[in-house]
Amino acid sequence: MSEFLKFDTLSLHAGQTVDPVYGARAAPIYQTTSYVFPDTDTASSIFNLERGGHAYSRITNPTVGVLEQRIAALEGGSAAVCTASGMAATFCAITAILGQGDHIVASTQMYGGNISLMKNTLPRFGITTTFFDPTDIDACRNAIRDNTRLIYGELIGNPGLDILDLEAIANIGAEHHIPFMVDATFNTPYLCRCLDYGANMTIHSVTKWMGGHGNAIGGVVVDGGNFDWGASDKYPTITAPYAPFSGINLWEEFGPSAFATRIRAEAMRDIGPSMSPMNAFLLLQGIETLSLRMDRHMSNTAAMLEFLQNHEQVSWVNHPNLPGHRSHRLAQKYLPKGAGSIISFGVKGGRDAGKAFIENVELASHLANVGDAKTLVIHPATTTHSRIDAGALQAAGITEDMVRLSVGLEDIADIKADFETGFRAAARLAKG
Amino acid sequence: MYFDVKGKRVFATTGGKPFDNSKPVVIFLAGSGGDHTFWGLHARFFAFRKYSVLCPDAPGHTHSAGPALGSIEALADWLNEVVTALDIKDLSIVAHSQGCLVALEYASRFPHKLRSMSLITSGLATPVNDYLLKAANDNPAAAVDMMISWGFGPAGHLHQGPIPGNSMARVGYTTMWRNSPRALAADLHACNDYRNGKAAAAAVQCPVQVIIAGKDRMAPAKATATLVEHLPDPVVARISESGHMLPLEVPDQCRTLLKDFIFLHNPASQA
Amino acid sequence: MGFRTRQIHAGVTPDPQTGSILTPIYQTTTYVQPSVDEYLSKGFTYSRSGNPTVRALELKLADLEGGVDCACFGTGMSAIQAVMLAFLSAGSHAVISDVAYGGTYRLCTKILSKFGVEFTFADGSKPDSVAAAVRKNTKLILTETPANPTMKCTDIAAVSKIAKKAGVVHAVDNTFLTPYYQLPFKLGADISIHSTTKYMDGHNATVGGAVISNNKDHAAAVRFIQNSTGTIMSPQVAWLTLQGCKTLSIRMDAQSASAMAIATYLEAHPKVAQVRYPGLKSFPQHELSTRQASGYGAMFWFEVKGGLKAGKKLMDNIKVWSLAENLGSVESLITHPVTMTHADVEAAERARVGIIDGLVRASVGLEDTDDLINALGAALDLV
Repeated sequence: MSEFLKFDTLSLHAGQTVDPVYGARAAPIYQTTSYVFPDTDTASSIFNLERGGHAYSRITNPTVGVLEQRIAALEGGSAAVCTASGMAATFCAITAILGQGDHIVASTQMYGGNISLMKNTLPRFGITTTFFDPTDIDACRNAIRDNTRLIYGELIGNPGLDILDLEAIANIGAEHHIPFMVDATFNTPYLCRCLDYGANMTIHSVTKWMGGHGNAIGGVVVDGGNFDWGASDKYPTITAPYAPFSGINLWEEFGPSAFATRIRAEAMRDIGPSMSPMNAFLLLQGIETLSLRMDRHMSNTAAMLEFLQNHEQVSWVNHPNLPGHRSHRLAQKYLPKGAGSIISFGVKGGRDAGKAFIENVELASHLANVGDAKTLVIHPATTTHSRIDAGALQAAGITEDMVRLSVGLEDIADIKADFETGFRAAARLAKG
Repeated sequence: MYFDVKGKRVFATTGGKPFDNSKPVVIFLAGSGGDHTFWGLHARFFAFRKYSVLCPDAPGHTHSAGPALGSIEALADWLNEVVTALDIKDLSIVAHSQGCLVALEYASRFPHKLRSMSLITSGLATPVNDYLLKAANDNPAAAVDMMISWGFGPAGHLHQGPIPGNSMARVGYTTMWRNSPRALAADLHACNDYRNGKAAAAAVQCPVQVIIAGKDRMAPAKATATLVEHLPDPVVARISESGHMLPLEVPDQCRTLLKDFIFLHNPASQA
Repeated sequence: MGFRTRQIHAGVTPDPQTGSILTPIYQTTTYVQPSVDEYLSKGFTYSRSGNPTVRALELKLADLEGGVDCACFGTGMSAIQAVMLAFLSAGSHAVISDVAYGGTYRLCTKILSKFGVEFTFADGSKPDSVAAAVRKNTKLILTETPANPTMKCTDIAAVSKIAKKAGVVHAVDNTFLTPYYQLPFKLGADISIHSTTKYMDGHNATVGGAVISNNKDHAAAVRFIQNSTGTIMSPQVAWLTLQGCKTLSIRMDAQSASAMAIATYLEAHPKVAQVRYPGLKSFPQHELSTRQASGYGAMFWFEVKGGLKAGKKLMDNIKVWSLAENLGSVESLITHPVTMTHADVEAAERARVGIIDGLVRASVGLEDTDDLINALGAALDLV
């Protein structure tokens, strides 16, 4: 009986109504710092959160607002706040609810920036983290302490590509009245809407698959609206009066968008990691083709898995869609359209062969990003992790022969041909 | 804030200022399955302009103790108990949808207690579609879907929000969903069973404002026309581009209408 | 209101929807119409025919020039081309002041001449020679003053009088001085043309052009060409140019003061043969420049003793100044017209109009004057 707009329609239209002034079909780029108020009463009511509207582009901006509402719609969240980068999103989301003396339980398989934030930066402000193996649910439960205020993980782990059991972890969070935040960068809402499985908020580096064109850095925090902040006294930033807005109680007044409102009222105001309107416009353009691109990412990934598995120069292939992967069952459950377009594989011949492969591919770009429309490769042992000894490499799940591949949207025949060139070079090296 | 009504805990927000019955009071009543969060921005606006406001959660809704009351008449009595418990003197009511029926019934029973009444997107009665009633009993998730889908006009379906970055449809969905599933069913039955609208409207003595939405699929034009017809001399406004969830969909226009009407009929001291 | 107020506020009103103090960048192709009957009721249909961001710039430039309307273009050349297409057709004739920008010369001699349009290049500094060039089929007189790169000036009032008498449109390329220093309409001209790439933008960020008209018929004729040929300005370019315009007068004053100091310095330098800057007493049309403009601008040229060979030595070794085409930006630029901007003008024609091989064109930017002088001094030491 109910009819809501579907994913592809939302990715084109959500958050935007046709510009009421001129009817412009594309969202105008509000490249402006400030907004002229019609009168002082309007000004004061915007500042006092009595009405929506824009005062200063560090806090809100109409173009960025379109992107925020579009992502909230795609994720099924009640509100979203865009930030200057994915890391800024993680930082703002954590600091909106945690403070000195608080504790995080986080997956070991995460992007290096997230790990460094929790291992090195947040402890300086009295926030500590216990890491758990995402394949071990008991380890997550056992890591929870009295002062734990957040469970954090990436749905598709990095670099092992293990899948987080969303429902099992959401249950642990619910038992302890602790919110569960998921970095959904690798899956995007097209492959999995984590909030539907009990996550309470999601984070994205929209720089990656969401934007998809490698042309703008950006992040977003999505408020699922489904966490009962008032069930305990653990979250005073949400449930206690907030002095800067006349002692506002965000939980009472905003309910399902209280968390996003706290980020807006505090992080955007006092820290200011705002997304630029121009980046928001570019990212909106990218999201218009999200499902088309993700389908192509997935079909190219499937083809590359088959190609790599059958290649004599490849010693091993790792991807959750492969039956032998230890997260295969969870991948089928949470990611039925495909478990992302990152593949890791080993090149026969070890470290030097891996290096030779990378140096001889031409189409695939050698760089440390993921989720571009273009195919990207990197050899962690000689680049991102080159200063780490063999033991530490192994602990991080990285082997010396490992190549990480972010499958792009090129014609699959061209990607394969390019890889053949790389493998021939690796083979020549092996033969001496 | 929490207070007791006949021994049961009632929760209400007060727009960010402590409740003060020495000021003119505006009580905001939400529609079926709704709660205090529906009125966030509007309540704050009045609370910071010499009014005291109260957005109560009805019994069995969100933070108020249950069970949910099954009839409009019972809710009108409960509202009177709230007014009595808080010793409210200069009262205006702003009501949405089902809240309007409660307000009508209250105004007819206690006509001397009201300074003004603003009724948003409602008729004299609210017969509820069988699918929705059945779903509310058997499949609350489907019922919430229908409420949100039919409730919101185009802006809601495009996930616009009164605050930049917010999706009002998702906020509405979550609000209804976190309510006890029984709350929505009880509300819809109360609406469906209410028969006293005509008589109640005729008994109203305070100034009444009626705000109509042009794209309302829950209180269609015919229903709102009947309400206008039976009320004594109402002030009528129509916002053509809005759906049923008018206070969220067109908050600026709604606030201006409410402000002009309430400032006139229940003026706050200029001290 | 004064120029400095108008350069900031003219054409720009806060966005009615959000109050945004700057005009949004309407990077959109099309505009949703409320209904068939209300087609165009909001003013825009398709971004070739009009765009709100570009419109804001057009209104600003029309205001600054004191004209009735303005049409913006993708480049300064497309602005000039639009004026020619608006007023010339096969069999008609135009008088162009010599010398004009090399691109204008090329447009006339290599392109429009193919379509049967005739051109005469007349000495703009001598109104009599302009009058003598006017024929029965003359429809347009286009003057560039000061001219690029010779700095030769045209007496706008005198030529406008000739044009009026002959019933011919007088268009002035006002790029070098901008409306801040020179207002052609007050002197009787009909059209003012700009490469907005230059002082309007001022930051080397965009290429663009504008045509401002002093009466509605001319404005309509240019607008028709703008829409028909589609040589439009993009919303992004318009938006950046709107930002540049806000500091136009401040930049012009600072850059012109610097140009005056540098020209004075060079004139006294033993290795410099000659300097041509309208602000110098030695400039042949100093009196005309002072009379028809309120400033002298930031463009000049000079010749190093030893001609082309010495000039090249200077240009190849100079610091701070960039060897580049373009002019009018905050970055100081040095250009060799014979090999760069005016290479398409035949050697004989160059010689006739005074573009000598050793001519070094200078566009003075916003750097510290001392740094610019010191850099010139150091480069001259190497000559």
